[in-house]
Amino acid sequence: MRNRLSVRFLLLAFASLFLISATMITLVAQQGGASAPAAEGGGRGGRGRGAPNPLLSQPAPRMPDGTVNLGRVPGELGIWQNPYIQNMGARNIVVGAPAAPAAAQSGGREGRGGRGAGGQIGGGEGAGGGGQRGGATTEPWIPFQPWAAAFYNYNSQNNSKYDPEGYCLPPGGPRLFATPYPMEIIQQPELKRIVMIFEGGTHVWREIHMDGRQHLKNEAIKGQTWLGDSVGHWDGDTLVVDVVGFNEGTWLDYFGHPHTDQMHIIEKYSRPNKGTLHYEATIDDPGAYTRQWTVAWDIPWNATGELQEYICQENNNYFNRLTDDFGQPILGPRQ
Amino acid sequence: MKGRVLTILCAAVVLAASAMPVLAHHSFAAEFDSAKSVDFQGVVTKVEWMNPHVYFYVDVKDPQSGKVTNWGCEMGSPNGLTRQGWTRNTLKIGMVIRVEGSAAKDGSSVANARNVTVDGKKLGAASSEAQNP
Repeated sequence: MRNRLSVRFLLLAFASLFLISATMITLVAQQGGASAPAAEGGGRGGRGRGAPNPLLSQPAPRMPDGTVNLGRVPGELGIWQNPYIQNMGARNIVVGAPAAPAAAQSGGREGRGGRGAGGQIGGGEGAGGGGQRGGATTEPWIPFQPWAAAFYNYNSQNNSKYDPEGYCLPPGGPRLFATPYPMEIIQQPELKRIVMIFEGGTHVWREIHMDGRQHLKNEAIKGQTWLGDSVGHWDGDTLVVDVVGFNEGTWLDYFGHPHTDQMHIIEKYSRPNKGTLHYEATIDDPGAYTRQWTVAWDIPWNATGELQEYICQENNNYFNRLTDDFGQPILGPRQ
Repeated sequence: MKGRVLTILCAAVVLAASAMPVLAHHSFAAEFDSAKSVDFQGVVTKVEWMNPHVYFYVDVKDPQSGKVTNWGCEMGSPNGLTRQGWTRNTLKIGMVIRVEGSAAKDGSSVANARNVTVDGKKLGAASSEAQNP
C-alpha cells in the first residue's frame, strides 16, 4: 500500500495531549459518564461497580442442532456492542509470537473509558498502545516491514487525518469489530451461511460461506473487495473464518496500521457466555509485516439493543474542510 | 457545603468531558483543537440532522461589539444521538441554546459541540458515540 501524498515528517508533541485525553476518558468513566440507553444490558463499564451483569453467568444460547448461537434467540432483542479500539497494536496477544509488553497492554486497557467488561457505544479507548502515540518504535512487538513502519509513523504524526473511515469508507478486516457501532450475527444453517450486519462504519454486511467451499483462486479475488472473501467452519464451539481478497483501501485501525492485498486473516469467534463474544484475528500479511500477529478482545452483548440506520455518506463535512499537507483542500478548488 | 462540592465535581466532569476527543467517524485532532474551548449562547439558525454528524448553526452576538457570528457546530451521528434521547426536533430554529465544545484548528467559526443546553437541560452532544468514527 503506497501513500500517494508526499510524506513530510513533522515532529509534533502529541504525546502529552493524548495522555491527558486518556486520563480524562478514564475520569469520565469513573463518574459513570455513560448514559446511553443503548448501553443498558450491555454490561458496560459502569455496571462493574454495581450489580454484576447476569448475562455473564448464563451459558451461550444454542441452535436447535446444538451449534452455538452467536446471535439473538427467539423472542429477544440484542446486538453486539463493538468497542472502540483505536490501536490494534495494544491488542496483540501471544500466539506463538512476542506480544505487547504487559505494561502497554494494560495501559491501553485502562485508557478505555466506560467499556470494561461491557462497553457502551464508543466507550473511547485512550490513546492506546500505552497511552501515547509515538509511532512504530513504541510498538516493537508489531513486526512492521520498514515501509509499513514509515506509513504508520506518518499517520501517527498527522493524527490519522487520512483515515479512510473519515471518508466514509468501510472498516478493514478486524476493524469491523473495533469501530464502535453495533453489529449482529445471523446464522442460517439451512442456507449454509452466516450473515454479519454492521451498523457502522458504513452500514455494511458480510456473508460467511459455510457450505464447505474453498476460496476462488488467488488471481480471481486478490485485491477485489473491501471486506474480503469469507469462508467459515465450526471447530467445536468456535467459528473459524478464513478471509482473503482484501483491497488496499482500508487501515487495520484508526491509528493507521496498514495492510496490503496479500492480507490473509483467520478469525475466531466464540461465545463463552451469553453476554460475551470473544473475537480473535490473526493477521498474516507478508506485504506489510515480517510475520503474522494476532489481536483479540471481548465484545459485550446489549440485550435490549437494536440496529439503527447510519448512512455515513450523507453529509460528510469532514471531507469539505480537510486540507492536505500543503494546506490545500482535499476536495474543492485549489488556491 | 455539600452542594458546593457537588458543583465542583460536576465542573470537573464537564471539564473532563470537554477534553475528550469524542469523534470516531473522523480524526478529531486533525480538525479540532481540544485546548481551544468554546462556550457561547446563541440563536439556532439551521439544523442539519444528517449522517455522519449532525450540524447546527447558531448566531452568536459578541457582547462588546455587538457583532454577530454564525457558528457551525458538529455533534455525533443521528443513531448515537437518538440512543441518547435526542430527536431531530430537539433543536429548532430560533431556540436560544448554550454550546460548550472545542473550536476548529483553522480558526474558522466551526466547533465540535460537547454539550448543548436546550430549555435549561444540558445534553451530551456526542458522548454516546463517544469517539466514534
